Amino acid sequence: MSAAAQRTTLLAGGTRTRLVQAGPAEATEAVVFVHGNPGSADDWERLVAAAGAAGHRAVAFDLPDFGETIAPDGFEHTPFGYAEFVAEALQELGIERAQLVLHDFGGPIGLIWAMGHPDALAGIVLIDTGVLPGYTWHTLARVWRTPVLGELFQAITNRSGYRFALNRNEPRGLPREFVETMYDHYDRRTRRAVLKLYRATPDPGGMSENLIGLLAPRQIPALVIWGEHDAYLPASYAHEQEKAFPGADVHVLATSGHWPFVDAPETVERLLVEFLARAGAPVSEPAG
Amino acid sequence: MSGTDSQSPIIGDPPAYDAVIVGASLAGCATAIQLGRAGLRVAMIEKQPDPNAFKRMCSHFIQASGVPAIERLGLLEPIEAAGGLRPQMHMWTRWGWVEAPPDRAGRGVNLRREVLDPMVRNTAAETPGVEVMLGWSVERLLRGDGGFGGVVARDREGTERELRGRLTIGADGRDSKVAELSEVPVKTYPHNRIAYGGYFEGPPPKHSPDSTIWFLDPHWAAAFPTDSDLTFYAAMPTKDRLPEFKRDPEAALVRFVADVPEAPPILDSRPVEPVLGKIEMTNRMRKPVAPGLALIGDAALATDPLFGVGCGWAFQSAEWLSDAVLPAFQGEESLEQGLERYRRRHARELRGHAFLIHDYATGRPMSAVERLMFSAAAQDPKAAELLDRMGTRRARPQQAMPRLLPRAVAVHARHALAR
Repeated sequence: MSAAAQRTTLLAGGTRTRLVQAGPAEATEAVVFVHGNPGSADDWERLVAAAGAAGHRAVAFDLPDFGETIAPDGFEHTPFGYAEFVAEALQELGIERAQLVLHDFGGPIGLIWAMGHPDALAGIVLIDTGVLPGYTWHTLARVWRTPVLGELFQAITNRSGYRFALNRNEPRGLPREFVETMYDHYDRRTRRAVLKLYRATPDPGGMSENLIGLLAPRQIPALVIWGEHDAYLPASYAHEQEKAFPGADVHVLATSGHWPFVDAPETVERLLVEFLARAGAPVSEPAG
Repeated sequence: MSGTDSQSPIIGDPPAYDAVIVGASLAGCATAIQLGRAGLRVAMIEKQPDPNAFKRMCSHFIQASGVPAIERLGLLEPIEAAGGLRPQMHMWTRWGWVEAPPDRAGRGVNLRREVLDPMVRNTAAETPGVEVMLGWSVERLLRGDGGFGGVVARDREGTERELRGRLTIGADGRDSKVAELSEVPVKTYPHNRIAYGGYFEGPPPKHSPDSTIWFLDPHWAAAFPTDSDLTFYAAMPTKDRLPEFKRDPEAALVRFVADVPEAPPILDSRPVEPVLGKIEMTNRMRKPVAPGLALIGDAALATDPLFGVGCGWAFQSAEWLSDAVLPAFQGEESLEQGLERYRRRHARELRGHAFLIHDYATGRPMSAVERLMFSAAAQDPKAAELLDRMGTRRARPQQAMPRLLPRAVAVHARHALAR
């Protein structure tokens, strides 16, 4: 098992965010984890530690208004605003090239960053996210996107309802602690941020063609992991990622839902570490 | 009736054999051994000319239900001497492992067909009264008194030979020519999974020498340790996974098995022969008898390989048929009475299993009743034992489910109260 990841904070673009990191801190190439909704830097602790133990610099941070991080006034709660935050965080951390690990809404955010920094993208790991040609929003997202209804829904969501709604769609259920932490983070700020983010994203598949056109010729090493029973983003999109990332290593996990790194942590860790070993040599010897 | 030789002079022409068997695989050989040992004259034809031929597309796993029949043939000791294993089954489900207590679990047989088939065929060939004709396939069926009365066989050079027998036995598998020629009624059931598998050498899986299967619902995977320190790894996903398996069967199998929860060490293993796949597996259930004719093994009931029942049922149906028709050959009753007894036994033993298997073979996820049973069995050893009895086919669903279902409900109630 890997050494523990370290926790600290990072000031980027006016946001003081929580940072989870491991591996050689001076490296300019790093594995960068971007969480989804709902999610936080906490999602990645195990994988950050594993990547670090394999000799890679690995970082994960809260996106503004997620986890325990508060966005500054005027923060743009759109995929572009969040992608800008990722760029600022990487600049602050001195990371010039990144192996992105993206989940859920971290997908569009990370891919927008990649469009703006194609030369800085060393590799990509897509977990239940990616290019989504033709995708239309899932039911919950449609609720969030509807004015008044979205606010009402966020206002009445309580802990037990949240727990029920999450677990109802997961084939093996999610550990209670994970769901409780996620709900603890789902405060008023996050709820408002979610509404803004989804309302700023009318067509989640809209950029797919541009992304495919831009990324496919670059032959970027890619690993795709998708829970077959994902109730939000169908697993049929797993192999679609090969359009943007030809030769991607695609794994559809037969017993997983939307959070494979939670319900199949050993498998996801193994796939990630193997991928990192293939995609680029560690910058230092494994820490054992 | 089409497929019969209407010109043959039959009436009054004494049959040269008591029984003519088409197909010298497990079911055919097991029948030949038993009938031969009872003093009958048996001809058995097999289209494969190689005495060491074996069925390649097979998990080789024999369910515990088939073991008594194997033991009765005197084959269990040679199987174990050849390195055959006697595994119990460990089943992964999303509710946990289903494992019957070791002293109560059914124990099947794992021996590669490459070893098993020649062993069984040699035993048949050495049985007095049994004449094995390799390289001969069935061309037509002959008519006897009031029914079928043997076959016209043909070798690879085109030479035809009439083999007259009082009883004609089709043991020629899923695509049985005998069944086709005899026009017995057949029901088909769709199969919506694909099957890929192969032998690997490497570190043994966790439960070795026991077998492990993963109910990934609706997919399925398995690790069967076997003789010579090999492990047969298998995957049976639904057909939507076909493109990746077609593209590179070995890579897809390794990836699929490596990604299952608590995965076996397939990544540290290497295949010792090419990974093989089967895409079309329509299940067939045929009426196993016609006047003067019987079907055994897959020819009678070709069902989903997912549950590993084919080999065991081949030995068992051979035993049922032999037991049912021997009184007729001893002059105690008519052959039709014996065949009717075989038909009823076959239906009684297998119809309940076949119903459940065919339903699940559609590729659907588990039903509410199946979820109830499997989840209870993951929590309660007695429920696991009952499920094991049914899964290893030692108990019919009609026997096991009336005991298992109330227990499953009680297990769930107990856990709900404990929360």
